[in-house]
Amino acid sequence: MKKVLLLALFMLAYTSIYAGGYRVALQGQRMLGMAHAGLSVFDNPETAFFNPAGMSFLKDKFAVSFGVSGIISKVKFQNELYNWQAETQNPVGTPFYLYMTYQTDEHMSFGLAIYTPFGSSAVWDDGWTGSQIVREISMKVFYIQPSLAYKFSDMLSLSASLIMAYGNIEYDKDINRNLTDEEGNKTYASLQSGTVSQAGYALSMALRPSDKVSIGVNYRSEIILDAKYGTAEFYNVPDLLSQTLKKTAFSAKLPMPAELGMGISVRPTEKLLLAFDYNRTYWSVYEKLIINFASDDLDPSIADKYYQNTNTYRFGAAYQVNDKLAVRAGYYYDESPLTEGHFSPETPSLDSNNYTFGIGYQMDRLAVDFSLLYVDGKERTDYTIVRGEGTPYKFGGTYVSNAIIPGIGITYKIK
Amino acid sequence: MKKLLYILGLLAVSFGFVSCEPEFDNPLSEDVYHSGDADFSTYVSVGNSLTAGYTNGTLYKSAQSMSFPKILAGQMALAGGGEFTQPFLDDDINDVGGLLLFGNIIAAPKLVVDASQGTVEPINAMPTIEVSNLHPGPYNNMGVPGAKSFHLLAPGYGKLANIPLGKANPYYVRMASNENALVIQDAIAQQPTFFTLWIGNNDVLSYATSGGIGEDQTGNQDLTTYGPNDITDPGVFAYVYQQLLDALTATGAKGVVATIPDVSSIPFFTTIPYNPIPLTDQAQVDALNNAYAQYNAGLLQVVALGLLSPEEAALRTIHFQLGANAIVIEDESLTDLTSLNLPSIRQANAYDLVLLTAKSVIGQADPNNPQLIYGLTVPLEDKWILIPQEITSIRAATMAYNVAIEQLAAAKSIAVADMASIMLQLHDKLATEDGSIYTADYFNGSNLNELAFGLDGVHPNPRGYAIIANEFTKVINRMYNANMPLVNPSYYPTIPIVPSN
Repeated sequence: MKKVLLLALFMLAYTSIYAGGYRVALQGQRMLGMAHAGLSVFDNPETAFFNPAGMSFLKDKFAVSFGVSGIISKVKFQNELYNWQAETQNPVGTPFYLYMTYQTDEHMSFGLAIYTPFGSSAVWDDGWTGSQIVREISMKVFYIQPSLAYKFSDMLSLSASLIMAYGNIEYDKDINRNLTDEEGNKTYASLQSGTVSQAGYALSMALRPSDKVSIGVNYRSEIILDAKYGTAEFYNVPDLLSQTLKKTAFSAKLPMPAELGMGISVRPTEKLLLAFDYNRTYWSVYEKLIINFASDDLDPSIADKYYQNTNTYRFGAAYQVNDKLAVRAGYYYDESPLTEGHFSPETPSLDSNNYTFGIGYQMDRLAVDFSLLYVDGKERTDYTIVRGEGTPYKFGGTYVSNAIIPGIGITYKIK
Repeated sequence: MKKLLYILGLLAVSFGFVSCEPEFDNPLSEDVYHSGDADFSTYVSVGNSLTAGYTNGTLYKSAQSMSFPKILAGQMALAGGGEFTQPFLDDDINDVGGLLLFGNIIAAPKLVVDASQGTVEPINAMPTIEVSNLHPGPYNNMGVPGAKSFHLLAPGYGKLANIPLGKANPYYVRMASNENALVIQDAIAQQPTFFTLWIGNNDVLSYATSGGIGEDQTGNQDLTTYGPNDITDPGVFAYVYQQLLDALTATGAKGVVATIPDVSSIPFFTTIPYNPIPLTDQAQVDALNNAYAQYNAGLLQVVALGLLSPEEAALRTIHFQLGANAIVIEDESLTDLTSLNLPSIRQANAYDLVLLTAKSVIGQADPNNPQLIYGLTVPLEDKWILIPQEITSIRAATMAYNVAIEQLAAAKSIAVADMASIMLQLHDKLATEDGSIYTADYFNGSNLNELAFGLDGVHPNPRGYAIIANEFTKVINRMYNANMPLVNPSYYPTIPIVPSN
């Protein structure tokens, strides 16, 4: 049963690469409408993700929220020196979330959040010139995060959470730039991590110094997904290498970086809400991707990453048109964690300008929220060093990307 | 509820508005690449095996598809270039090359590495290319394997009946527009708007690869006296080259000519060291020294008589020791002392070049007398070695050819691709644009990714041809203000390796 549940979650967790490394910031349609700046907005169950301490300040005893997004993204690549052109044919990603909050008494609240904070999917053109780095990759990660919040006063609440992270990575790449079978088909490896799990934690604080101002701080710990029993299979292997390139086990570690967020929101009028968030993502933990094979015939595959920590600044606004309708808008700037000389097409993350829009419609107990995110990736010319084929060489060119991400969410609450 | 529908409609509209594709500031559209002052609509390549795409000792179908002119034509196609045809090879059904003449093998199939033995040998397969099945051209690729400069102007070079007489070339016989055609006629009949001409390599190479057994014909302009392994007189070469260039430029075509690399930089001459025989047994060393004691003593006597310089005696003195030893070779340039029962032999030294093909005989026992070992007790014949005098002849001719090429091209404002310089870079180390390293080394089991040459040690592999095509591209871009992209050599195959043969 657990297996079936995990499988179902993984099927839903399909995301696509669009910005900020492989972080996928789509954890609530209400907050996404206002730039995903939800660290200090404590009026809906999405706070179970953004800032679980904020659960203490929810007006409803019980609330549940579910949402799903559709990521339509594309990355384009070109290199003028060699006239290389390629693009991704990414499947539509569908990250989701499910939040439940419950206030047991005046002080204590419980929360449960299931969401997809990380993921990436890139399916490059068949036979493209970077297929020795990636043919296609799919990384699905979701977190299950139960939280406990304690309200010390009407001004202060603190929360602690346990996080169980589940990940699954599939990664296909050619062996090198020219190895083929006898019929000329490129020889490639298909790596499957299987389901990997690891625990982490989150700590958060919610402050309400006045009716008009809220402040939130949230920290989610780093979680390193350690695939110990992955399976590597090889396809289109020439007879010459049929004894070397055989199905084997592999191990690899992939970090889900820690994230610190600080946010402040104000209500200058009854109808207007302004929120500002700052996120720091500790990507520098991702230094290398090392794949060790069980077979003695295969050297480890080592790719330098040397990611850098990133800052994200989010500005969001919501306007309550009447007691049913709210409109939202936001902007945020997302930095790519990829450093110069380590820009690899398996995670072609670009600095991006992000524009968000949202509409919420509140019925009696049920609310429906729509969001729309447009990610405008900034063109970047860069390269990565590829090893494992004689002298290490540069692979690079110019990348540009965008993504359009509509989302829908529903919230149900009981006073 | 109406409101909700309205909202949904609004979202759908905004969705349509932004769901466009990402765009580059400067996308690689059609106008990025162009031919500049050149016109690539009809490109004709003229030359020898290097133009044909010959590698691993033969011409075969997949290698032909990666010939340097074919690669170059692919780049030209982005800048107004037209179709580029190559001589018919669809009958090379097993992709092994070689040639049949009336069913008899007259050229062996391609060389492969037999991974089970670690040896290089012709693939165990039957050639299927029948020379007498003619496929008359002309073709855009007029590369004729084996052609020397003057062959491009030679009548009868495409006549089937001339093959047994050694006066025709089986490759040209198959591709000639008719049996009386000249190679250069077939080239210009296509009215090229652009050409490459890379000819002259074989005017020295056949002399070199046969170990200098031919004659250096420098000074002799009578072609009827030339043997197949002779060095062509530079005066003849310059005259022929002038005719070729006149013909190719007669209708205003632009083009690129290429210089002739120094043959001593190719792996055919640099792979086998002069001292490839290790001796580990003192008894064997003593026995070898004993065997030559009489010869060494004889040399000293001749010096005493004043018939031989002490320097030459020292050069000829044969001595073995534990460790690496130079092979014993015949050297016809030594003072002839055979009347005194002293053969013209010496040990090789760093100034000699041992041919790659000598690998198969050095250290082997004479089948008739197992006591006799080639290179030790039996001197290697002249055909396995280039001695300094031969190397000097080759270099002098090569330099003279290149002077002619540069001068004749300059007179017609035709661009020159300095392939001699590219080959020198490869001889050391050539780094391509992405940092990959290529060398002119022969396959040694661990340098697969760096190989630019095929298994015959003379011809590039497809990666080497890609490097050559890039050099042509760079020269064309520079000289004719064109903009064509390069190819990345590392995406091309290296040498053929089979599990067993």
